[in-house]
Amino acid sequence: MDALVEVQNLKAYYRAFLFGVDREVRAVDDITLTIGRGEIYGVAGESSSGKTTLIKTIAGAIRPPLKVVSGKVVFHFAGGTQDIYAMTPDERMALRWLHLSYIMQGSMNVLNPVRRIHHSFTDFALRHMKVGKSEFFAKVGSHLQRLKLDPHLLQAYPHELSGGMRQRMTIALATILTPEFIIADEPTTALDVIVQRDVLSMIREIQHEIGSSFLFVTHDMGVHATVSDRIGIVYAGRLVEEAPTRKLFALPLHPYTQHLVGSLPRIGDAKARPSLEGRPPNLAMPPEGCRFHPRCPKRMEICSQKVPPMITVEPDRRVACFAVTGDQA
Amino acid sequence: MNALLTLSHVTKIYRQGGMLGRRQIVAVKDVSFEIGSEPEILSIVGESGSGKSTIAAMILGQTAPTQGILHFRGKAVALHGKAERRAFMREVQPVLQNPFEAFNPLKRVDRYLFETARNFSVGAGKSDRQQIERLADEALGHVGLSLAEVKGRFPHELSGGQLQRVAIARALIPQPRLLIADEPVSMVDASLRMAIVNLFDQLKRELGLSIVYITHDLATAYYISDRIIIMRKGEIVEQGEARKVLDNPQHSYSRALKEAVLSADFAEAP
Amino acid sequence: MFTILRDLTRHNMEFLSGLALFAIIVGLVILSYFSPYGATDIYLLPPDMPPDGDYWLGTTSRGQDVFWQLTTALRNTLYFGIGVAFLSRIISLVVGLVAGYAGGVVDRVLMAINDSVMVIPQFPLLILFYFVLKDSMTWTALIVIMAALGWSYDARLIRSVAISLKTRPFTTQSVYSGMSMRKILVEEHLPYVLPIVFATTMNNMIWSIGMEITLSVLGFTDIETPTMGMMIYWANAHSALIAGTWWWVAAPVAVIVVLFLALFLLSMSMNEYNDPRSRLNRMGG
Repeated sequence: MDALVEVQNLKAYYRAFLFGVDREVRAVDDITLTIGRGEIYGVAGESSSGKTTLIKTIAGAIRPPLKVVSGKVVFHFAGGTQDIYAMTPDERMALRWLHLSYIMQGSMNVLNPVRRIHHSFTDFALRHMKVGKSEFFAKVGSHLQRLKLDPHLLQAYPHELSGGMRQRMTIALATILTPEFIIADEPTTALDVIVQRDVLSMIREIQHEIGSSFLFVTHDMGVHATVSDRIGIVYAGRLVEEAPTRKLFALPLHPYTQHLVGSLPRIGDAKARPSLEGRPPNLAMPPEGCRFHPRCPKRMEICSQKVPPMITVEPDRRVACFAVTGDQA
Repeated sequence: MNALLTLSHVTKIYRQGGMLGRRQIVAVKDVSFEIGSEPEILSIVGESGSGKSTIAAMILGQTAPTQGILHFRGKAVALHGKAERRAFMREVQPVLQNPFEAFNPLKRVDRYLFETARNFSVGAGKSDRQQIERLADEALGHVGLSLAEVKGRFPHELSGGQLQRVAIARALIPQPRLLIADEPVSMVDASLRMAIVNLFDQLKRELGLSIVYITHDLATAYYISDRIIIMRKGEIVEQGEARKVLDNPQHSYSRALKEAVLSADFAEAP
Repeated sequence: MFTILRDLTRHNMEFLSGLALFAIIVGLVILSYFSPYGATDIYLLPPDMPPDGDYWLGTTSRGQDVFWQLTTALRNTLYFGIGVAFLSRIISLVVGLVAGYAGGVVDRVLMAINDSVMVIPQFPLLILFYFVLKDSMTWTALIVIMAALGWSYDARLIRSVAISLKTRPFTTQSVYSGMSMRKILVEEHLPYVLPIVFATTMNNMIWSIGMEITLSVLGFTDIETPTMGMMIYWANAHSALIAGTWWWVAAPVAVIVVLFLALFLLSMSMNEYNDPRSRLNRMGG
């Protein structure tokens, strides 16, 4: 695989020892993954899984009390290989928007409400593109058309567009400098179902036309099924399974993945769906051994004692579970 | 038999702006439906701006309809007298969307259970602590929890799924006939969602409770509803038996909605 | 609570300095109870003596020890400020919470009263009260009058917090648990409002003490009770600066500055503490 982003044994914790609170939250606890060029890598996890911290850490957007304890995040951009935590903050800033871009949940609210949308584009990108204004707008126009958006929308105010439209314009804004790597954090969660479909097809357009890679984070497995090429399942700060999308849905190996995939209700199928017992763990005091073991229907004795290592079971599949890989120390 | 809840040509118009140049937003337009005395789960499905949350607010008496009749057991819902409000709340209880916001972060969660028990249950004297705790424990039992697990806890100590179940238990204490659940699982983690959806079905069967289940998620609506109402921009576009409507939607919007639902069925993969 | 204070002193320089300065003030106030001289006794000591070993801050033209006079004056001023702050907090809490929660007509009426009180010119009004009441203008009367003037800004602040609290889902849940409005305001909403109340208390004290000093310097209050402003009044009455007894003016002015600095630093650092983001930023990492 032509690797674009390599995350190696990354550990990032929140440490707070002040104002009567003494806590270390192990939000990202030894995660290793690789994202190839031009691929959409989906990260699936729930609200307390540490996935938000993971993307902040990969983007280099760390502020106290969050701290990278160990591990590396390495980018192989066109300009060369860079270890994001060996760079100065200025060098990191230079990366942004040109090589690394970020789409957030609710980012439709990023557009300045009192100015027309084309101002946001100018503010953002004109300086970086180093071209004259008319050439700039020609490029913007063709970028929008490539993403199936009407260039006339540039003349509108944000409040004149619907939420979905704004989100798509914001995505166009985030991709105007044709970044190689885009981090998308729940970009469609706040959107209606019909609009969501349009936004997802736009993301696939970007992958197709520009060749950007995506790190697409969402808890919605239906979205992953539609847009991700490969999926990594994160539970309580650890990666528990990774596989190409079709294989993951056809045959999920890890019990948590099995639950996520199996509990999706579907129209046309009124069969009873099972629910999972217990609750997501507290990242400040996670369970010993495999963090999923208190809720796992297949737990064995070893699961509460040792951490299951991530094992490659097929050339493109990895899983961290003793029930699947056997007791391999 | 008297219908439990009746909405007849209900319209809600919000007016914005000052004395000059007012703007009107029609949130709900000419909506009519009924909930009978038989326990059932009625889903109101729609996207944002469809008016479904406004309907919930009107049923709960938080805002009054601009036009039309909204009756619970034959009496208008927007009541002002304290005794009448109390009687209404005894029969109709809400389950709110965000379980973390539904509880005051600074207070313990059992407080709301005890208050509800103290204020609503018949025969529980104000100082009868044991009786109150027993009622709370019973209600928690219906949702698969117990008072021992929950007593003395603050909201941040529980998960979203647990909190939502505590909220449902609290709503059950007055032994209501109708639960209004406004997007009850949209903020709950995927792994805990089905537990709550299954719980609604169980409560209908075991306690004879009717539930108005408001959601944008067509799939869970299909899974537990008896009847369904599909709304768009304040109007009802289609309604009827849930499975029938969703298996074979008639209205173009219903069809578009169904097609837009993302599924993991790779037979139809793009 | 205690650990919060401990960490505030450790990491927040403003809080530490404010606390230190306030400790000096409190120390002086405590000392006032051990004063060897009566507060209103005059012509006990040789007048106009400069600061030396016997009289630490010198004596006044009326034969009083400046240092001990100062401690008593400080005590009275501080109690005055606290009294006004306490009473006006109660009014602004009640008005703000009720107006915010009840809304509608109640809100409009309360805010109409609130805004009317806000625009009353306070200083002329206080002078008017003095001229009308003259000798019956006791300190208690002044405290009550100032409390009645000093609640309106903060009532609006509390009202806006109450309005936002009303829309939060836990308020709906409290209503459906059958709680009365009084119970919801006092038990559910008040804890959110208290940090703001504490911060505004400092501001209120700065305002009321400043007002008191102004009135006293002009002689518009009970001239028998020594307060910070009264000391300056008497110093002026005896032309202290011209006569050369500068210590009589310098001492109260210096202490007033220390008091205001202390209140300001405490208020500022508490405000910063209330905002969770700035709190976390200070913790570094």
